Amino acid sequence: MKIVAVTACPTGIAHTYMAAEQLEKTAKALGHEIKVETQGAMGIENELEENEIRQAQVAIFAVDIEIEKRERFRQLKVIQVPVQEAIKNPKSVFLRLQA
Amino acid sequence: MPGSSNPAELHFVCPLVHGLHARPASQLAEFVAGFVSEFYLTNPRSGAEANLKSPLAIIASDIREGDRCSVRVLGDDQEMAAAALREFIAQELANTDESEVTSPSDPSPLVLPRALQSPAVTRYSGVAVSPGIGKGKAVVVGRLSWSLPVNGKATEGSEKEQERVEHAIAMVRDRLKALLSRAMSPAETSVLKAHVSILEDISFEERLAGFVAGGQSAAQAVISTATFFVSLLEASESAYIRERAIDIKEICLRLLEEIDGCTSDRAEVMLEEPSVVVAETLAPQQLLELERKWLSGLVLEYAGTTSHAVILARSLGIPTIVGVKDAPVRLTPGEQIVVDANRGLVVPNGSALVHRFYERQRQTQRERQRALSRYARAKAITTDGRRIEVDANICSGEESAAAFAQGAEAIGLFRTEFLFLGRDRAPSEEEQFTAYAQAAHGAKRRITIRTIDVGGDKPVPLLNLPAESNPYLGYRGMRVYQEHRDLFRSQLRAILRASALGRMQVMAPMVTTVEEVLWLKEQIAELQEDLERRSIAFDPLLPVGIMIEVPSVAFNLDQFSAEVDFFSIGTNDLNQYFMAVDRDNARVAKLASVRQPSFLRFLKHIVDAVERNGKWVGMCGEMASDVRNLPLLIGLGLHEISVPPPHIPALKRSISRFAFEECRQLLLEAIECARLDDVEQLLRNFPAREPVQPLFDPQLIILHSDSRTKEEAIRELIDSLYVASRTENPDRLEALVWAREQACTTGLGHGFAIPHCRTDAVVANSVAILKLSHPIEWSAVDEKPVSTVILLAVRESDTSNTHLQVLAKLARRLMNPRFREDVTRLSQSAELVAHLSRELEIPG
Repeated sequence: MKIVAVTACPTGIAHTYMAAEQLEKTAKALGHEIKVETQGAMGIENELEENEIRQAQVAIFAVDIEIEKRERFRQLKVIQVPVQEAIKNPKSVFLRLQA
Repeated sequence: MPGSSNPAELHFVCPLVHGLHARPASQLAEFVAGFVSEFYLTNPRSGAEANLKSPLAIIASDIREGDRCSVRVLGDDQEMAAAALREFIAQELANTDESEVTSPSDPSPLVLPRALQSPAVTRYSGVAVSPGIGKGKAVVVGRLSWSLPVNGKATEGSEKEQERVEHAIAMVRDRLKALLSRAMSPAETSVLKAHVSILEDISFEERLAGFVAGGQSAAQAVISTATFFVSLLEASESAYIRERAIDIKEICLRLLEEIDGCTSDRAEVMLEEPSVVVAETLAPQQLLELERKWLSGLVLEYAGTTSHAVILARSLGIPTIVGVKDAPVRLTPGEQIVVDANRGLVVPNGSALVHRFYERQRQTQRERQRALSRYARAKAITTDGRRIEVDANICSGEESAAAFAQGAEAIGLFRTEFLFLGRDRAPSEEEQFTAYAQAAHGAKRRITIRTIDVGGDKPVPLLNLPAESNPYLGYRGMRVYQEHRDLFRSQLRAILRASALGRMQVMAPMVTTVEEVLWLKEQIAELQEDLERRSIAFDPLLPVGIMIEVPSVAFNLDQFSAEVDFFSIGTNDLNQYFMAVDRDNARVAKLASVRQPSFLRFLKHIVDAVERNGKWVGMCGEMASDVRNLPLLIGLGLHEISVPPPHIPALKRSISRFAFEECRQLLLEAIECARLDDVEQLLRNFPAREPVQPLFDPQLIILHSDSRTKEEAIRELIDSLYVASRTENPDRLEALVWAREQACTTGLGHGFAIPHCRTDAVVANSVAILKLSHPIEWSAVDEKPVSTVILLAVRESDTSNTHLQVLAKLARRLMNPRFREDVTRLSQSAELVAHLSRELEIPG
C-alpha cells in the first residue's frame, strides 16, 4: 500500500521524529511504501508533494497539534492517532488501515 | 428618652469583599465611639449580635460581602447617631477596604521547584535580601514563646491581678504607639493600628476582667482571653479573618511579656548549634553579637531591603529574608527551618523530601561556586576588550581576605559605620587603625574607606542625633562631621596612619556642596601636617573622593572634579532623591526602579561629566548588585563596579559575555525610551554573547545518580546545567520542563525518558544525561520504570538548525534497540559523549 504520513508534536524536537522513525520502520516491515513528513521545530521537512499525496491510498497523521497545510489531504482517507500511539505501538496504527 | 424601647434602626448591605474584617471593623468602632448610644449589629444569617464599639465583636460576627445587616442604636443621642452612622456607611465603609499593599520585591512571578509545590509543604514567603540557603534550629529573638507555662492561679487576690493586667495594657499600648510614630510604611502602620485597636477593644477588656474576677492570675487571664478570641476567629469561614487570630496572639504575647516582667528584647541570645534567628526586627548591634559560626540564616518581619541590619547580613553572606508576616509567632522556637533566600521562602519542619531537596541545592551551589571560581581570578573584560574593575563592598576589616579570595580586585567600599554602631563610646583611633590596616590585608590593593555615614535611618546612640520627621533629608552623612569634629578627625587620623601600610583612599558620604569638600580637605591637610611633625608615617598623596548620592553634585561635577580624585555612585540614595521616592514604601516602590529611563539618563549625564573632567567614577550601590542591570552599567562606561563579595565571580563571568559597544548602543536606546516597560523590554531582548558551547558535554553526564523520584531526576539534570552556567534560572527551566511533561509522558519505553523543552531560560542548547542507580517510575508508555533520562534543552530563539537536526537524529536513534543498548552500556562520561558525537555525526 502507498501511504503518506505527517508527524507533529507540541515542542517539535523529539516526539515528532521518534514517531516518524517508528512509522517508517514498521511500514517497511509490513511491506508498505511510506513517506513521512515531519512538522517540528525546524518547520516542515521531507515535505509531501502533490503527486505523492494523489497516488497514496491513505494518510496517517500522528499528531498532537493542528498541522499546517491540512488542505492538501482533502481528497484522501485520513487516519489520525496521537503521537504517543505511533511511538508506543506503531503496528496497531497500521492495523487500522485494514478496517 | 434614654433606654427607650424604640431604638433607632438602620439597615445596610455589606459592600466589602472580605466582609467586615479588621480594618473596616476598627474604623466602624472608631466612628461610633464618639456617641453616647450603644450600637448593636445583627448578622442576618446567624442572628448573632455584636457591640459595634468592639472591633473584635464585629470581626467575630463574621459578616460577609452581600449580607443584609441591621444596626439598633440605643441611647440619648440615638437619632443623631443613627443618621451619622447611616451617612458613614454610605460614604466611607466601602473605602475602608483598601487593597493590600504589595511587597516591593522582584516583580517577576516566583516559580517554585516541584519539590516545594506540594500542599503538604508549609512555607512562608517574604523578600529575599541576602541570597543563599541556610538551615537550622529556629531561635526566636525578643519574644516569649506562646506555649509558656504560667502560674495559673491568682496569688495576691483579684484586685492586684487586675492592676497587673491594666498596667500591662498601658505599657504595651505605649510601646505600640511609639512604634507607630516611627512606622516606615503604610503596611506597618496599619498592622500596628490594628494591634492598638485590639488593646482598646471593649470586649477584649471585658473578657480579661471576667477571667481575673473568676480567680485567674493576670497571665492566665491573658492566655484564656487569647484562647477565647482565637477560637472564635479561627471558626470564621473567611481565611482573612482566621488570619487575624495571629494579631490576638501577638498582642497577648506582648501582654505576657509585660506581666512577667521579662524584658526579652534585651535578653542575650546564645546560639549553640546551626540556627536561624527569627525576629520582628533586629538592630545591627544585635546581629553583630550573634555567634557567627552558628548563624545560618535570618528571618525578619519588618526590615526594609536597605535597612542597616540587612546591609550587614548581606555583607556577611547570611541568607536573609525580610517581610515574613508574623514570623516570630508562626515559627516555633526549636523547630528545624530552612531559609531559602534564593527564592524568598521560609520552610519550617520540612519533610525528608524537602530536606533532600535543600541538601542537593546546597551541593549544587557549592559546585557552581567552584565552577565559577576560575572567573574569580580573571580580570573582567568585555568581548570587545574593555576592562571593568570589579571590587567588593565590606563592613569590617576581617571581610577583606574573603573578598580578595572571591576575586575582588580592590575594596570599593568599606562601610565604617559598623565600627560605631551599638556602642556607648566611639572606637578608639587605635582600634580603627587596626581595622583599616586589616582590610589592606598586606596586599597592595586599593582600599576605599568611606568615612562614617550615619544619621537619618542609621541611628548611632553615641552621636546623640535627634529624631527627625524626615530623616532622609536631614542631619546625616557628612553633615554631622562639623559638630562631631573630634570623632571625625580621629577616624581620619586612623585612615591616614593606615595609608602608610596599604593603598588607602578616603571617601565622604552624602556630600551636597563644594564647601563641604573643601572643609574635608582642610581637615586632612591639618592632620597630615600634624602627623608629619610627629614623624608618623602616612601617604601624603592619599586620594580623596566623594559619593554621588545627592543630585546637586551631579549638576556641579566640573567644580567637584577640580577638588576630588574620584567619585562613586551610591544608587539607593541618588535614586530616592532623584525620583522623590521612599524605597521602603511599598506603595511607591515601583517608581524607584533604577531602570527608569529618566534615571538612566541622569546616570549617563554623571558618568559623561566625570569622564569629561578626566576623573574616575565607579558604582557601589545596590544597582550594581543586580545582574539584570549589567549591560546598562557596562554601557554607561563606569570604571568600576563594587558589589558584595559573593556576587563577584558570576559578575566577572557575565561581563566577559557582553560587548561594550553593544551595551553602549543599548544604553543610548534605553535613555530614549518613554516608559520603564520599554526599557525592561529592551533588556529582555538583549542577549549576552555566549561562546558557542557543544551540545554534549561530559560535565552534563551524571552516572550512578541516587535520585529517587521523577522530580529529583529532572531537578538533578537541570542543576547540572546551572553548575555549567548553561542556565541562570533553573527554577523557570524546571517549570517549563514539567509543563511539557504534563502534556504527555516523555517516558518512551525500554527504560528511557527524554524530558525536554524549548526556552531561552537556557543560554546554550544542551543535552544532559542521567543514569540512575535505581530505576524510577515515570509513567512511561510501556509502564516500565526508567533508568536513563536524557534532558533536551533548546533555545527558543535559536534559528540555526544544526543542533535541532542532531536532536531529531537522536530521537530517531532512540527507537533503535542497538543504540539504546550502547547508551546503557557505556559507563564513562567521555566515552558516552564520543559515542553520541560519532553516531549523530557531530563534526569535530
